Amino acid sequence: MPVTPDHGPSREPALLIAHSPHDVGGQPEGPVNVSDHELTPFEKRCHALLNVLDVHKLVNTEEKRRGVEELGEVIIGTLGYYQRWAVSAAKILNEKGLVTTQELGRKMIEVRARLTAEDQ
Amino acid sequence: MTHDHAHADPHAPIEADTSSDPDYFDVMVHALQELLVDKGLIGAGEVRAMLEVVDAAEPSRGAALIARAWTDPAFKQRLLANGSAAIEEFGIDNYDGTQLIVIEQTPEVHNLVVCTLCSCYPRPVLGLPPDWYKSRPYRARAVRDPRGLLREFGTDVPPEVAIRVHDSNANMRYLIMPMRPAGSESMSEAELATLITRDTMIGVTTAKLP
Amino acid sequence: MSNRYAVGDRIRISARYAPGHVRTPFYVRGAVGHIERVLTEFLDPEREAFGINAGTETQLYRVRLDQSTLWPDYTGEPDDVLELEIYEHWLEPAPDSSHQENPS
Repeated sequence: MPVTPDHGPSREPALLIAHSPHDVGGQPEGPVNVSDHELTPFEKRCHALLNVLDVHKLVNTEEKRRGVEELGEVIIGTLGYYQRWAVSAAKILNEKGLVTTQELGRKMIEVRARLTAEDQ
Repeated sequence: MTHDHAHADPHAPIEADTSSDPDYFDVMVHALQELLVDKGLIGAGEVRAMLEVVDAAEPSRGAALIARAWTDPAFKQRLLANGSAAIEEFGIDNYDGTQLIVIEQTPEVHNLVVCTLCSCYPRPVLGLPPDWYKSRPYRARAVRDPRGLLREFGTDVPPEVAIRVHDSNANMRYLIMPMRPAGSESMSEAELATLITRDTMIGVTTAKLP
Repeated sequence: MSNRYAVGDRIRISARYAPGHVRTPFYVRGAVGHIERVLTEFLDPEREAFGINAGTETQLYRVRLDQSTLWPDYTGEPDDVLELEIYEHWLEPAPDSSHQENPS
């Protein structure tokens, strides 16, 4: 009579697919670094933008999460929390054709030039 | 370099980026916002308005709820029975569409909250979660080694007290009601609220007299 | 409103492993426990993650699991428990329960 969890696939490559890297409950980890920081302007803007996108169901919260998960272990481990949100939003909006890769790329050039000019 | 926020320019950055090389992700978020406004998909002031909503939520809201519960037994019962309805009494807008469950610490059971899958957190009553709550070590170990984890926060739960870990993995959000410390009987509701810190409402620490 | 399970029912969390976005953590797949609370219906997050924002209402439950059976090396106390939210399509009657789907 099974009462313990069935850990399912236990060998790669099946395990890589069956156990998504964001799903960390019970994984071996070290001590908690009890740190915190005041959100930067970028982080606050990103948080607010994703909330607005959810209100309009342009990128709902579950889509945002799925977008982050699909980035995979290396990117999840390298990018900061809100950097992952930003990339997820960009991917989902492009998937839906609401803001295409081309549009975003062009606007990013324009915004970068404007922000650079303002600092000079 | 400062910006005059009195202008109604929807493309005005909220804060000046003071680095000489604008950050890739910062540029991306600015660009997304501008495109969405230009396309009429979001309103020009929506992100700014949302920022204010997010900023307004702080742990002091949760502390006020708990302090009221400590001093008003009828409110405590309402809070425990239906957290979402009870916070409306305080005018708190549960803006993210989730439902709030309030769980009380007891002498028999110590409760702890985690979101192993991401960072789900009762934002309308506690504000934004701390970095450590979102970290892999916390999310991985809270479910498997809660007693060891709590010791790292300076909280020693004796063997005769059971631990109940809540993995906030779907649509509920959890606020822990710490036990009122002995010796606080003469304190006012406002004074009591100062004992109720964010960490006591996550369950990693307990409320103590100063 | 389907509400297939009631508070106290012994259940098993399904041990399914297909790729896709799910909100049932890996560490509880196949675990046996009981219904702690019946919540309300919410959209299925597995479909929501792909933009389906209506029509998938699914009953959500809180499930309580004994930590001592969840982890082979649990170092806490026997009464320690873990609780989380599980959607109805991730639940099945526990193998040792009397709740029968198709009584023979």
